[in-house]
Parts: sequence; C-alpha cells; structure tokens
Amino acid sequence: MVKKDTSVRMSLQTLRVLEAFLENPSEQLAGAQVHQRTRIASGTLYPILLRLESAGWFVSRWESIDPSSAGRPRRRLYRLTSTGLRRASEVFASFNRGVLV
Amino acid sequence: MSQRKERSRRTDLDGVTHWLIHQAAQRAPESLSSRLEEEWLADLESRSAALSRLRFAVGCCWATMVIVNDCPRSKVPAASAAVSTGGVLTLTDRGFGYFSLRSATLFLIAGLHFALFYGMIATLSHTRRSTTPPDLQNIVVKPVPAVTSPSQGTVLKDWIINVPKPDTETPSLPPIQSDVRAEYNETPVVRDLPVSPPETPIHIVSHVAGRPGAGFPETGDFYPSPAIRAGEEGLSTVSVCVDVRGRLTSAPTTEKSSGSARLDDAALRLARAASGHYRAATDDGQPVNSCYPFGVRFQLKK
Repeated sequence: MVKKDTSVRMSLQTLRVLEAFLENPSEQLAGAQVHQRTRIASGTLYPILLRLESAGWFVSRWESIDPSSAGRPRRRLYRLTSTGLRRASEVFASFNRGVLV
Repeated sequence: MSQRKERSRRTDLDGVTHWLIHQAAQRAPESLSSRLEEEWLADLESRSAALSRLRFAVGCCWATMVIVNDCPRSKVPAASAAVSTGGVLTLTDRGFGYFSLRSATLFLIAGLHFALFYGMIATLSHTRRSTTPPDLQNIVVKPVPAVTSPSQGTVLKDWIINVPKPDTETPSLPPIQSDVRAEYNETPVVRDLPVSPPETPIHIVSHVAGRPGAGFPETGDFYPSPAIRAGEEGLSTVSVCVDVRGRLTSAPTTEKSSGSARLDDAALRLARAASGHYRAATDDGQPVNSCYPFGVRFQLKK
C-alpha cells in the first residue's frame, strides 16, 4: 500500500486522538474505544481518523472475528504506522520544548 | 424499572438511529460509504443509552459532511476488499467544481442577505419619506424674502378639566363625569407675509395649527382617582404628531410635566385615546401632517 506522509492540521482534538494511540503505540483501537478514551464526539472523531489515515499516520483493518459467534459486528481497527509514530512523537516533543520567554 | 424504560426508549429510537447512520453513510463518498456504515454500526453497539446512540448517529451525519469536504484533498483506503488489492482510492468521485453544493449554498445565502438588505433599505426610505411632518419643512415663498409675522409660533392650548374637590371627611369620590368641563381656545396661527415689493407676485401662506377636534374623548375619565384624592392639580403639556386624518403617527410624549407623574400619565393616555379625533393642521387650507403640543389641565372644582 502506498503511504503518503503528508502534513496534518493539528487541532486539540487531533492531539488527543494521537495521545490515545501513543499510550500503547502497537495497540489497535476502534473508533468507539478512541471515543471512550478521548470523549471526542463522533462528528469530530471519524473525520480525524480518516484524515490521519489518508496522511499515512494510521492504517486500519477490519477486526478478524466471526460476528455470529461474537454476538456483535466486526469493528474497524486503527493502528499507528511507523511514520505516524515518528511524526506524532515529533509533534509532542515540540510541545515539550516549552516556550522561550 | 429504569432499565425497562431505557430498553423501550432504545427500541423506539433504534429505527431512527440506524436510519440516520444509513443516510449519513449514503451521503459519504461512494468508496467509503459501505465501510463507514459498517464501522459506525459496529461502534454504535458499544453504546447502551438510547440518547447516547442517537447523539452518535447525529454525529455521524456531521462527520459525513466534514469527510465530504475533506474528500478532494484526501486519499483514504476504502473498504477492506479495496485495501486488500493494495489500492489507495482517491476520493474524487463527487464533483467539486465552482458550482458545488457548497458554492451554491454560499451564493444562495449571499443572495438572501442582499435581498433582505435591499428590502430593509427600501422600506426604511419609504417610511422616512411618509412620516416626515410637512410642517417641519421649510415654507418657501418666492420671490418674497422670508418675513414672519409676530404671531408665528406654537400656540399652547389648554384643556381645563374641572372636577369638584373631594371632601376630606368623606372618602367617596365626587362624581367626575357630570362636572367635567372642557375648554379649548381655538386660536389658529395665521402667517401672513406682508407685501414688500408691489411689483412682485405675492403668495400668502396661511398655516392653521392642528388641535383636538370633534369626538374627542371624555376628558374626565382620565383624571386619576388617586390624584383626585390627593388633590393634585396641574397642567401637563403633551406633544402629538398627527396625520391628515387626525390619527397619531407616533406615540405622544410629555413636553412639559405637570409636576405629577400620575397626571402626566393620564394626559398621555388621553392623547393616545384621542387618536383619530384630532383636527389636522392646514397649509393654505390643505390638511397636512403636523406635530404640535397641547396642554391638558387637571383642575379640581372648588
């Protein structure tokens, strides 16, 4: 899959989504789980997830379960890519530098 | 009990919630439509409260609008089948030309604003033209130079309401209606311009100020009972603007207070109630809109 490392507009909500993924970078999260961690409403959350995915920071795949045996539909799981991990770390590192007065 | 209520509410709203999510997904770019619907329906299951589910569905509708706006510049892997083939779909399956839905909405809103603004300006200019009292405009007399007679000016007219003074020992109010006597001094203002050069044509403008006319309401009804008991008397001067048919064109105002708020209010009530019974001012015998003051005297009969 071709990945494009494009810049992403960093809003507060985007930072909160990235923060949720950076707690455990290898973890795969569904939109509902991201919502539980960030409390971002669905109207804002899904566009951010799609934006980060289109920028190559995330990849997504369907959950590999049998819906009939699990008793629920399969979820779409998102995971940080290596590019996303590097770029997100850079973003948070830039914030940690502080402000020179 | 509350769980049962919540369950029944959830059943009621579930149809709406699923319909909203379906509609939201349908409005998304075609390549994402099925993926988003399945993803949102799966995430919906993590919510139990009916209102929370409904809020989620409404949020999905909003998300669709944002995603559609992001589409021209984003590339998102579509459904799993597409991803498995290794393709990255460019989401340009919706036309976003100069006349997209967004542009059309923008033009529509701008057009509505323009129409409203134009209508407001037109209405305001018409109102201003029709409500300008003609007697405030300059009276141009050609070619005679402007000379005014000493009688020019506003004549104050008094309405004298004589009410018998209440007996301090008996609390009952005196009969007012029968003793009310209204007097009005009709002194029309006539402006006659003298003839200065005999060879030039003369135009005499006679102006008769407006005044209370026929059918003016019973003035005794407006003498406030508390003011009668307190023995309040005074002259309240009220300014009114009336049209050619003797109707008020604006709310009357107190020009000079009588010293008693009750009497001033009563005079204003009288002035308002008399709308349609004023006699219009005239210029050269033609009724015109005008503003003029008149006095309402509240006086107890000795």
